[in-house]
Amino acid sequence: MSSSISEIGVGHYRSIRVDDLVREIPASARPDMRVPARIFADDELWQQIVGDRSLDQLVNVATLRGVTGCVYAMPDVHEGYGFPVGGVAAMRMEDGVISPGGVGYDINCGVRLLASNLDAEEVGPKLEAIVHDLSRTVPSGTGRGGRIRLTESELDRVLAEGSRYLLERGMALPEDLPVTEAQGALAAADPSQVSSRAKQRGHDQLGTIGSGNHFIEVQLVDRVFDTAAADAFGLHVGQLTVLIHTGSRGLGHQVCTDYVRRMDAAMLREHIQLPDRELACAPIASVEGRAYFAAMCAAANFAWANRQAITHLVREVFERALGPARRLRLVYDVAHNMAKVERYGDATLLVHRKGATRAFGPGHPETPEPYRAVGQPVFIPGSMGTVSYVLAGTDEALSRSCGSTCHGAGRAMSRGAAKRRQPGFQIRRELEDRGIVVRCPSNAELAEEAPYAYKDVERVVEVVARAGLARKVARLRPLGVVKG
Amino acid sequence: MYSFASTPRFPSGWKDISSTALAPSHRFLEHTGELALLIRAGSFEELLEEAGRALAGLQLPAAHGPPETDWEEIAVRSADRDALLVDWLNELIFRAERDRWIAVEFEIRHASATHLIALARGVRVSDAPALVKAATLHELRVDAVPGGMEAHVILDI
Repeated sequence: MSSSISEIGVGHYRSIRVDDLVREIPASARPDMRVPARIFADDELWQQIVGDRSLDQLVNVATLRGVTGCVYAMPDVHEGYGFPVGGVAAMRMEDGVISPGGVGYDINCGVRLLASNLDAEEVGPKLEAIVHDLSRTVPSGTGRGGRIRLTESELDRVLAEGSRYLLERGMALPEDLPVTEAQGALAAADPSQVSSRAKQRGHDQLGTIGSGNHFIEVQLVDRVFDTAAADAFGLHVGQLTVLIHTGSRGLGHQVCTDYVRRMDAAMLREHIQLPDRELACAPIASVEGRAYFAAMCAAANFAWANRQAITHLVREVFERALGPARRLRLVYDVAHNMAKVERYGDATLLVHRKGATRAFGPGHPETPEPYRAVGQPVFIPGSMGTVSYVLAGTDEALSRSCGSTCHGAGRAMSRGAAKRRQPGFQIRRELEDRGIVVRCPSNAELAEEAPYAYKDVERVVEVVARAGLARKVARLRPLGVVKG
Repeated sequence: MYSFASTPRFPSGWKDISSTALAPSHRFLEHTGELALLIRAGSFEELLEEAGRALAGLQLPAAHGPPETDWEEIAVRSADRDALLVDWLNELIFRAERDRWIAVEFEIRHASATHLIALARGVRVSDAPALVKAATLHELRVDAVPGGMEAHVILDI
């Protein structure tokens, strides 16, 4: 085992190279660390990671009460607030804490993949009209409300029942729910723990994409790496797919805001001292801890219902363009901002994943039955205009990373720097020159999400595949994108 | 009132630049994932007002006309002064999204370490451009500096 001194954005930590793809900052690196921090990266990604404050933030997470094993950074990690984006931490239920900052403001931000029963070439000249219709039918942009307005009691049902409520409303197919993480509803959700403010922000946002890096992308499967898994997921080369990336919108943001504030106030009572105030937390079993978990689950249910409502709208668009015989089947829906109670051997842990995807293998009881032979599907969106990946979870990931893998390419450049590098209209033109249909509210927002603002998704995926955190199944190439 | 003007802190012979209060200003700093906001002003009240204007600039990137709504009173209570800045911004973010109303003009009537009362006027928008999800406590600081106050706050976008 060789060791090296690594310079990190602020401060210096000794890192040990565990193997080609894993580095460890030992728990002795800072006096307040309780567990080591492990980072999955090759040499090039490592250089990018040490370029910002991701590792300082990861080390801060390693100081939280009740943290166990290691804390982990996925290869797409970048600095965030509190936890780094791409961070994973498991807490013991009996003495651990729960931190809203370990989930993030966009609770249950996640990705779902729809697979069509037609090949991309069959869409041909209708692609532009379809993408245009998607942009008109599914509201994007930040605070935009959608066509679905919920009464207070209806919103409470969404918060309690998630995608199940949309099935009752005719916006889901019965076959959608078994291939949604947690069947699209966490039973621990309690709408009464979601503030009136959060409900006011979310009441008209069901079926909306939001802003930032959220999107709907029309794609084709351009490569299959694992035929058995691709068959199980119902994917083949040339097939048309739709990838949806969004979360719990303003409702989730407000839940996080409310509970960061509440836990910030409770920490004095609990004698919790933190290196970063945004890590505000409370014991899992405390009043605040239980209330946040119930509210977070409710916001997660809202997010699943949101992606389900968007699915309904996307299906309408495709039916209008191509006729009722054209189906969009949900392959899977998986979260990448969440805290979940999970069993690891004899231990029950609360696993925080912020910008990290659960990736359970074939042997795990929570892997959906249709995918039990190959592992749970994981979707890794690339940056705008680049390829995305379909992966399969592995049993090995359970011990290596708390059953977690990456969630995307990971930002490498600030939005300001991205905008200064190239104007949005040029990026739009470049994408269009490559045959990608783009619908985006503004060129400035397009520039913020330019491909060069992100790490290389192919490299990120290669690392998680080589590290055994997930298996490569298929690659998806963009044909059209509706950006939030 | 968190003002420097009444607190002599310089040895004799040194130039006391605090007698010149900082003009309210703000700028955005580089941050890989989010947006870092640096605000300077001559007093804590002005700092809060400038923070509101910085937020409005993000929520209304295009030029807008004069405020078209009546003055509205906003009260915020927090654990301490630093959190008060964050809670103030989060209050404005919430109102923008709920009411499709973006405050652009501010008058802080009262600000203590834990409480503020503000008047705000704004513009109505058809779709609340709530680019900013929340103001965070991460790397938050509100410091006294020569001539006034300086604050650093990370916004989740």
